[in-house]
Amino acid sequence: MSSEKAGKIENPLASGVQQGLIPQPCILVIFGAAGDLSWRKLMPAIYNLNMDGLLPSNFALCGFGIGAQGDGDTWLRERAKSGIEKFSRQPLVQSHYDDFERCVFYIEGSFNDAQAYSRLKAKLEELDQQFGIPGNRVFYFAVPPTVVEICVSRLKSEGMVLEEETATRFTRVIVEKPIGRDLESAKAVNAAVATAFQEEQTYRIDHYLGKETVQNMMVLRFANSIFEPLLNGKYIDHVQITVAEEEGVGTRVGYYEGVGALRDMVQNHLLQVLCMIAMEPPYSLAPNVVRDSKTEVLHCLRPFTPGDVERSVVRAQYIAGEVHGNVVPGYRREVTDFFSKIGKTAPTDSTTETFVAIRAYIDNWRWAGVPFYIRTGKRLPKRASEVAIQFKDVPQILFNANPDVPLDPNVLTVNIQPEEGLALRIGAKLPGPKVRIYPVKMDFNYQTGFGKDNPEAYERLILDVMAGDATLFMRRDQVEAAWRYLMPVLDAWENSRVRYLPEYRSGTWGPLEADRLIEADGRRWRLL
Amino acid sequence: MTQLPTPIQHETLPLDRIEEELTHVLQSFREPGELVHRARMSNLVIFCDDADRVDEIQELIPKIVAVHPARVILALHGSTEKEGPVTGSVTAWCSVGEEKAKICSEQVTLYSSGKTADHLIFAVRGLITGDLPTNLWWASPTPPALAGSILNEAAEHAQQIIYDSIGWVDPARGVAATGAWVGSMERSLSRGQWRVFSDVNWRRLKFWRRILTQTLDPNVLPGALDSIAEIEVAHGPHAVVQAWLLVGWLASRLGWSVTEGHMRPGVDISWTVQAPHGSLVVCIDRLPDGPSEVRQVRVRHNAGGKPGVLTVSADGGDRLSVVLEGEEASARTLAIRPQPLDELIARQLSDRERDSVFRDSISFAETFARSVMR
Repeated sequence: MSSEKAGKIENPLASGVQQGLIPQPCILVIFGAAGDLSWRKLMPAIYNLNMDGLLPSNFALCGFGIGAQGDGDTWLRERAKSGIEKFSRQPLVQSHYDDFERCVFYIEGSFNDAQAYSRLKAKLEELDQQFGIPGNRVFYFAVPPTVVEICVSRLKSEGMVLEEETATRFTRVIVEKPIGRDLESAKAVNAAVATAFQEEQTYRIDHYLGKETVQNMMVLRFANSIFEPLLNGKYIDHVQITVAEEEGVGTRVGYYEGVGALRDMVQNHLLQVLCMIAMEPPYSLAPNVVRDSKTEVLHCLRPFTPGDVERSVVRAQYIAGEVHGNVVPGYRREVTDFFSKIGKTAPTDSTTETFVAIRAYIDNWRWAGVPFYIRTGKRLPKRASEVAIQFKDVPQILFNANPDVPLDPNVLTVNIQPEEGLALRIGAKLPGPKVRIYPVKMDFNYQTGFGKDNPEAYERLILDVMAGDATLFMRRDQVEAAWRYLMPVLDAWENSRVRYLPEYRSGTWGPLEADRLIEADGRRWRLL
Repeated sequence: MTQLPTPIQHETLPLDRIEEELTHVLQSFREPGELVHRARMSNLVIFCDDADRVDEIQELIPKIVAVHPARVILALHGSTEKEGPVTGSVTAWCSVGEEKAKICSEQVTLYSSGKTADHLIFAVRGLITGDLPTNLWWASPTPPALAGSILNEAAEHAQQIIYDSIGWVDPARGVAATGAWVGSMERSLSRGQWRVFSDVNWRRLKFWRRILTQTLDPNVLPGALDSIAEIEVAHGPHAVVQAWLLVGWLASRLGWSVTEGHMRPGVDISWTVQAPHGSLVVCIDRLPDGPSEVRQVRVRHNAGGKPGVLTVSADGGDRLSVVLEGEEASARTLAIRPQPLDELIARQLSDRERDSVFRDSISFAETFARSVMR
């Protein structure tokens, strides 16, 4: 938090206001500003922050990278505009956009070109003068992990990184996932970033953590006395975490092939969500205290033996099928088409998984013996993400005595997308002379309940970086602990040398093997 | 929400038929195969004794419940000689949500007349839904601090009392009484009860406070706050209390105390103020026309021993601009959202945090007000 910085001059006008929420004057430098992430997510997020009056008054945005056509500033402004028009939560209002675009600039240059960094540096210094910014920088690496090292190295050699934050100046860096493709490469990326940026200056972003319902998990657990006492092995039968996507890899084949669902989704989003639902209560809301609690969960995950990988992990690949009535191709076909389109030889026997299901255990006092079933996949019947906490059955007496009339267990569901909200399933008596129990759902939906648009995750997270609040960002040890947990799986897959994965038809809920995994425990996947 | 709420207005009813009629109204919204949800985050009790504002408030309600679904109890009192029974009517505001489900907020309108509104308050009590927070919106031109027992009665079960100090008829008296009133209302709470007080006018100042905090930050403009020589706040008609709150906020944050004050009603107010670094002058000037809001703040300072002026101005309805005279930096702007009253009220309803900065600011505003009433 900024107020903790040594030598920082306190602003009396800010006293009484939550420090973490005050963004500080800065220039946001987007590396890879010509890319998809910048267009779809970052520019609309920054525009929305501007619309909501949340950006600091002394603010400028400078894109950096290759791909501009013509005058760089004009090109980026046009691209930002089209991204806002297409993806922004709030519509483009011309008068606001005119203000916004006046602080958007672009420097064309390769990430490996020392002269380009000199130009960038000069531009940023010019913008400092123009916008009254005291030299503060947020570097957003919206680039592949392979170029992070060179970007960091160039920034450092050009003297664009402060060694540590001072009273009035800071340099912060946002690193996008994936952080590496295994433990070793993640360590290498982290080490490369650490050559220039201290851990306090580094913000590893996982946009799932910026979602309202994910943040609400902590509130749900620690601001309500009715749930927390029940969230342990005594009362919980199991937990299911699902992130289902209806889209295939589409245009992302180039990135996805060779990466797969485990690296793309499980290592970051799903394990982070698991940490939120399973963590012990932190003793304060200070960023590092919260992150300590989450990291402990990762340390408690039961390591996989090679036999466990066989029994507890399922991977699969989608084949052709139908989604929403449209015939869609299989994964291998998409890969072949993509590579032939760009004139490269396509891997004909891709074993990149598009679906993963895992049975995980957290070996600590609270969760001993409670399975956590995790699944994620592409080309499933619908886009839906949720955490479902299923309570144990009541004893088989009274209302649960008759095996012909099973009593549905209670389930607490946290919906992450597309609708954000939570629901509790309970049994209630149907009206009438007989005692008949019927499951009813008590539902809370963010939009209908609170009646307003939730800010996009990126909005919240970018604002947090400007304010110096790292609570919702992954720390180095978290990232590496998550990789460490999954390495036996990656190694086993690497060593198996299989040429075909289990398959599932597009538009179904995954392969039979995934059903068998959970059914072997006498349970079933939830129908979303 | 995919559709603007649709009202169904029903005829005036005796009080004992209101709940039954509400159920009937909600059922009438249900089409075959559809669900109708009663959505309510809180009880919103609106007290209005100003006949001229009834239509305006009625228009705001559907917009408010679209953001903050609530059971609305609109209590209207006409002060006539003729006493009569309290009657009511019911309305529902529905919008179409996901999967054809209708999301409905219910509204009960209560009417009373006579010398006092006592009966009205009893009727309100019977209609409040338990286990939901209760918000009282005091939509009266009388400052709540000067409203007497009727407000105390209406506020009995309220966790939040919302009022709007814009257009108060006697602003100096209103400001002078508010700090003490809030204190006494808080002291009267029994154990386990809590209540917050919210002036919509304070919420309107959010962007002004934000931009002043950012631009006068000692890390951005070193020495400016410690060398302020003069502050001028210009405001449009009826917005003097807003300007007053802004000055109260600055005084509370910067440790100022009032030495003396002068007021020319409807024209300007000035104070000599003692700050830790010495004395300074604070002026509030009324502009003859334009929007009812703070329009400009000029801060004369001697940052780094060099005289400077920072001017923040409302630039149209959707931005604030900052100009530092003598600086090379270009004029900066802060986009601001238009803040219509319905949105301000709706956002305030779910903002139940006790705001210590607001409390401090009204306390300081009170001392400023008392200095000009001597």
